[in-house]
Amino acid sequence: MENGLDACDSKGILPDIHLTIKAVDPEKSDPKPYILTVKDNGPGIESKHVPLAFGTVLYGSKFGLKQARGMFGLGATMAILYGQITTNKPVTVKSSTDAKKSDEYELLLDIQKNKPVILKHKTKDVAKKGLSVSICLEGDYSKAGTKIRDYVYQTSLITPYASITFDDPKGEKYPYPRMINSMPKPPTIIRPHPYGTDVETIRRMMVESQFEIPTIDDAMIEKVRKDLGLAKKNFSFTAIMEKAKKRWKTLSRQVRVIIALMSFLKMDFEKLNKIRIEDIDVPNKKLFYWDFGDSTSKSVEMDPESQYYKQLTNTIQGETLTAFLTKKFQRVGPTTAVKFAEFAGFKPEKRLGTMTNQELAKLSDSLQKFDDFMGPDPSCLAPLGEEPLEKGMKKFFNPDFLTVIQRSASAYSGFPFVVEMGIAYGGDISTRGIKVYRFANRIPLLYDEGSDVVLKVINDIDWSRYKAKGDPPLVIVSHICSTRIPYKTAGKENVADRQEIERELKLAIQFMARKLSVFMNKRGQAEAAKKRANLYAKYVPLIAQFCTELAGKKKEPNFQKILQEEELIENE
Amino acid sequence: MSKNVESKKKAASKKALEKQKNILDMLKSHGAKIYDDLDSGQFPKFSIPSRSVSNIVYDKKLRQYILGNSTALRSSKNTSQLRSFTQLMWLAFFANRLTNEKKSSTLRDIYYSSQAFAIDFEDQSESDNIIVDLEAVTSRPREDFHIFPEERSSIFGDLNIEYTIPGYEGKTMNLSNHPDGYAIGPSLTTAELVDTSAEIVIAIEKGGLFTRFVEEQVDKKFKSIIINTGGQAPRSTRTLLKRLHDEMKLPVIILTDGDVYGEHIAMVIKSGSANAAHLRELTVPDAKWVGVWATDIEKYKLPTIPMTESDIKRCYDLQKDPRYLDGIWKKELEVFLRLKRKAELEAFSKYGLTNITDKYLPQKLELAKSL
Ligand SMILES: Nc1ncnc2c1ncn2[C@@H]1O[C@H](COP(=O)(O)OP(=O)(O)OP(=O)(O)O)[C@@H](O)[C@H]1O
Ligand SMILES: [Mg+2]
Repeated sequence: MENGLDACDSKGILPDIHLTIKAVDPEKSDPKPYILTVKDNGPGIESKHVPLAFGTVLYGSKFGLKQARGMFGLGATMAILYGQITTNKPVTVKSSTDAKKSDEYELLLDIQKNKPVILKHKTKDVAKKGLSVSICLEGDYSKAGTKIRDYVYQTSLITPYASITFDDPKGEKYPYPRMINSMPKPPTIIRPHPYGTDVETIRRMMVESQFEIPTIDDAMIEKVRKDLGLAKKNFSFTAIMEKAKKRWKTLSRQVRVIIALMSFLKMDFEKLNKIRIEDIDVPNKKLFYWDFGDSTSKSVEMDPESQYYKQLTNTIQGETLTAFLTKKFQRVGPTTAVKFAEFAGFKPEKRLGTMTNQELAKLSDSLQKFDDFMGPDPSCLAPLGEEPLEKGMKKFFNPDFLTVIQRSASAYSGFPFVVEMGIAYGGDISTRGIKVYRFANRIPLLYDEGSDVVLKVINDIDWSRYKAKGDPPLVIVSHICSTRIPYKTAGKENVADRQEIERELKLAIQFMARKLSVFMNKRGQAEAAKKRANLYAKYVPLIAQFCTELAGKKKEPNFQKILQEEELIENE
Repeated sequence: MSKNVESKKKAASKKALEKQKNILDMLKSHGAKIYDDLDSGQFPKFSIPSRSVSNIVYDKKLRQYILGNSTALRSSKNTSQLRSFTQLMWLAFFANRLTNEKKSSTLRDIYYSSQAFAIDFEDQSESDNIIVDLEAVTSRPREDFHIFPEERSSIFGDLNIEYTIPGYEGKTMNLSNHPDGYAIGPSLTTAELVDTSAEIVIAIEKGGLFTRFVEEQVDKKFKSIIINTGGQAPRSTRTLLKRLHDEMKLPVIILTDGDVYGEHIAMVIKSGSANAAHLRELTVPDAKWVGVWATDIEKYKLPTIPMTESDIKRCYDLQKDPRYLDGIWKKELEVFLRLKRKAELEAFSKYGLTNITDKYLPQKLELAKSL
């Protein structure tokens, strides 16, 4: 379900998700095999990627830094694996990316090789795009049913723009129609924030920023010729160099590196075809290569004054620290980068490739400590938004009172996050006491609530101060969005109490609780006024009756006056 | 009957009529005030002496607890008071009817009668409370409004009375005609006391001893009227004791069990209870407690039983009461606390069933003269 919703989100499609769980043999008693099918109307997966997406662990297309439900590339495979282990049945995946043809696969996983085994593959004509996955797995619906129903219920609460149906093994249908017809703003993919990085991430980013020495093969030479506009004839070394100089601005980095190499080797294309570059020794300004002609290793000197020398060293040594910071991280400008270099004790033009392990550790350390980075960019987050949340809650609970709030983005350890919450009171809410629905990145958190930070914050609040005494019929929806939710446990069920998150939660709740107390006050006053009027209407005539006889009068006193006055006050 | 008695009787019924008129007038004036308030578009209100602990003070001159000066305002505008306000109005209205028709009712009756008028008392203790309110507002005991408690105590002895209740008006009765004694109920409490040959009133805590006293003709032997208080004396009994003392000029002595509760039964007859601090007609300040004292336990070598925790606690509580700060009241409490034992009136039976009337009582009557 999460995958289907993610896929629809990424393409701006209003999701239709159908979940079906059917017993293979309804007569058998639990636990027994069930067939679980999830069908979506998303973009589908290209046929050739299907076996990889569902047949390998860690296949994920969501690695960019933006909020999505899935993060790890494990979910689908794990579910399939569970089915395979418990029932030894393959998974069936049907995918259509064009609403014309559907590719249907039956797959098993080869666990040792982390590779899919395709049992069947056929193509069918269809009319709708989307993907469906059927897993045969052993389960106990009599036990797990409540949680599954909760999951579907809560998922539809936090995804009011989706239509979700669930057909359960007992033949019960749980339809959750779409409540709003517009998609919330999609998140953008962004670069990481300095605070959210560690040495390992920096190493990985460095590799991306250094360029391999291109292999010089036929294809490469062909490409260089083409880019220089020298495809047809053979040209002399000098002619090539001249042409390159003219076209330099339009050339790609790869081509530039080849030209630089050629400039030191002093070779034309024909000669170049017969060698392989072995090493570029920057400190000694030497270029080593293997000559296929006489099968020997040779070297040439490189002139450090030449502009080509710079081109090569840049490539080898990676970017300068400032370039690395501004290009690879979000919200770091040249000025900040220079300031940071000074703070960390590096020269701004220090190249990443020349850093020792120790220096890298120092760099990573300083990235955490430097105070002047701007807060992380929350555009990668996808909160639901106040309006959809409010509409969803309204449809769900039809409450007497409802308020929602989306806090502005904040960050913990360089990870941006947004907290959005809603409180509903009364109406269709039949539960007594505070019922909390927790969500993280639009996923319901169903288990382990005891240790969750949201629960902690809610419990710490003195609700009687907000006129919600006793066991009020109160629902609180809490949604935390982040590129990395700080889960306490591997089960991804409860959120750890990071101080920054706790603070945002608290502010959100207090804001809403204040509104609630205003509502409760008003309601209390109206109720009290009504109660008062009722009491007067009941007792004053009695007092009149009794005192009339006591006083020995025939006619009752005119007590209507005070009753009417009271009514006026009530209506004010 | 002598002429003297005849004229006394006339005066008596005149007095009873006057009293009734007074009460009716008073109720009427309260009613009229409420009526006028309502008629002029105001929420009726009145003030009532506060019965909170801080407003109950001991009056040395009156030798009883009375209410201090602080008053509370009861307003029908205040919704938390509206219900009890209405209840009190109803009670006054109902008391008015009772007094008018000379009908009596019990506390329990009141609780049930209210239901016919949509006045919802939650339980009897709520209605009992409102009755105390009426007493406090009017400074009259509920008996004046013909409202009586259920508990009955009894009386025996040569006393002529004349009924004032409807159907018996003018009828007389001698209270020594029936050896089980006469229940002290509404008709007796409202009756006129005509004459008596007795010279003393003996109030005794227990029914069993009361019967013994009648059997042993204590009334004749000691020229006495015997009253069984049945434990803590009900207010009607206290009223009667007071009238016997005030109107017939009879001294009153009290015999109780030899324990702290007995001592306090005597004290309540003598100087009232804090519960009834709003009323002043219920005490017999000259009444004398003659036994069983703690000192008697040793003196008469009475069989005893140990005091309970609550007996002991009660002793300490009473030591804080200003009335227990001197005389036998103080002394006996101290001896009880020293002995940590108590003795019942029946304990004298150890020395023979009539020992109490033959030996103990005469000694105590003698002693009472010097108290
Ligand atoms: N219904 C679907 N429609 C389109 N693409 C899908 C669908 N289901 C899975 N995919 C693709 O397959 C990939 C693997 O899914 P998988 O659930 O294993 O990992 P994930 O969602 O990235 O992370 P996680 O393990 O946290 O769920 C997804 O990243 C997505 O690209
Ligand atoms: Mg997933």
